[in-house]
Amino acid sequence: MSTLIFAAAAASSSGSSNPILPATGEIIWSILSFGILLVLLGKWAYPPVRKMMADRADKIRGDLDAADMAKAEAQRTLEEYKEQLAQARRDATHILDEARQTAEALRADLLAKAEEDAANVRVRNEEALRIERQRVIAELRSEVGSLALELAEKIIDAEVDRAASQALIDSFISEIGS
Amino acid sequence: MLLAGINFPPISDVLNWRSIVFGGTPFALNKVGLITLAATVITLVLFFFAGRQAKLVPSGVQNFVESMVDFIHNSIVVDVMGPEGVPWAPYLTGLFFFIFFCNIFEVIPFIQMPATARMSVPAPLALIVWITFIAVGVKSQGVGHYFKNAIVPPGVPGPLLLLLVPLEILSNFIVRPFALAVRLFGNLLAGHLLLLTFAVISEAMFVKSVGLVVLPLPFAMLTALTGYEIFVSALQAFIFTILSALYIAEAMKAAH
Repeated sequence: MSTLIFAAAAASSSGSSNPILPATGEIIWSILSFGILLVLLGKWAYPPVRKMMADRADKIRGDLDAADMAKAEAQRTLEEYKEQLAQARRDATHILDEARQTAEALRADLLAKAEEDAANVRVRNEEALRIERQRVIAELRSEVGSLALELAEKIIDAEVDRAASQALIDSFISEIGS
Repeated sequence: MLLAGINFPPISDVLNWRSIVFGGTPFALNKVGLITLAATVITLVLFFFAGRQAKLVPSGVQNFVESMVDFIHNSIVVDVMGPEGVPWAPYLTGLFFFIFFCNIFEVIPFIQMPATARMSVPAPLALIVWITFIAVGVKSQGVGHYFKNAIVPPGVPGPLLLLLVPLEILSNFIVRPFALAVRLFGNLLAGHLLLLTFAVISEAMFVKSVGLVVLPLPFAMLTALTGYEIFVSALQAFIFTILSALYIAEAMKAAH
């Protein structure tokens, strides 16, 4: 560094131009350069760059807003769907319950009707049986009477008046029936 | 012994450049003038490419320019001047880029000369800023109000004003432009001479085989200082720009 100072001292003492002082040409060119830069930058070079940056910022802001809106819309739709799904579940449960109740009522009805039908059939059968039995008994009574008469005729070998012996036949059958 | 081998060039040889064209006229164009023109051309070309690409996701030149524009717009213009300072963004952006490129030629190989290490560049810039903030103050507050606000502190008793008014005049209208120019000039001149010193020492060590043992030391220092000077180039451009913004912002509003 001391060399440098000596050199500086030597330079200034040797009568050459002071290195600190500005030179006219340099001043003019620096003002000219800076002036040209300011004019061209301000008029022509700076605004497009700044506009592009502002446009981009606007676009990003717009995109973010749109994304927020889309997200809110999606959220709303999701809520709606959830609500609809819950409603559908409630409806389905309701329908199922109703169906179950209807089926239960139907089953009870059918069962009651079937039981009633069965009872009717049973009564009818019993009635038919009873009539048939009476008919059979009457037929049998008649047949047995005839047979007994024939048998008696054959046994006593005598002609007996049917009408007269009817009382006898009846008492005979009563004894058999009892 | 070793120092005797170091051939340090006269300081005027590394600061005063011969004119290339228009020699002998006031328009003599030398290396410093060329660097200022280059700073203008580089800035405009960068902005041209950045504006022409206009990609949604910036990369390369567009990314660099946009991040710098964004930095100046947010950290200097809006932070210091507020929203009403936005019309000054192109002016301050131009100032920052111009000073930065004038500075950065300090470490560009084969050029290695910051234009701002010559008083011819910082002084006119400081003068332009000085004229700007006075013009802004006069335009926004009126001549009487502006100068009254600038040099008469409110709420100060009469006798003290005798002392404070000259101080305020000195501080606001003389020291400000002087300090702006000298800060930039001094930093870059010092950086330039430091780099030069270590480059000369490294060269001397390399040429004189006796110095080979300690060659890595000045060379390492040269490398480290080159990095540091890149930082200084950006920092000084930032300081000059933010102070200019501050002065203009102060002139726009009624002081105090």
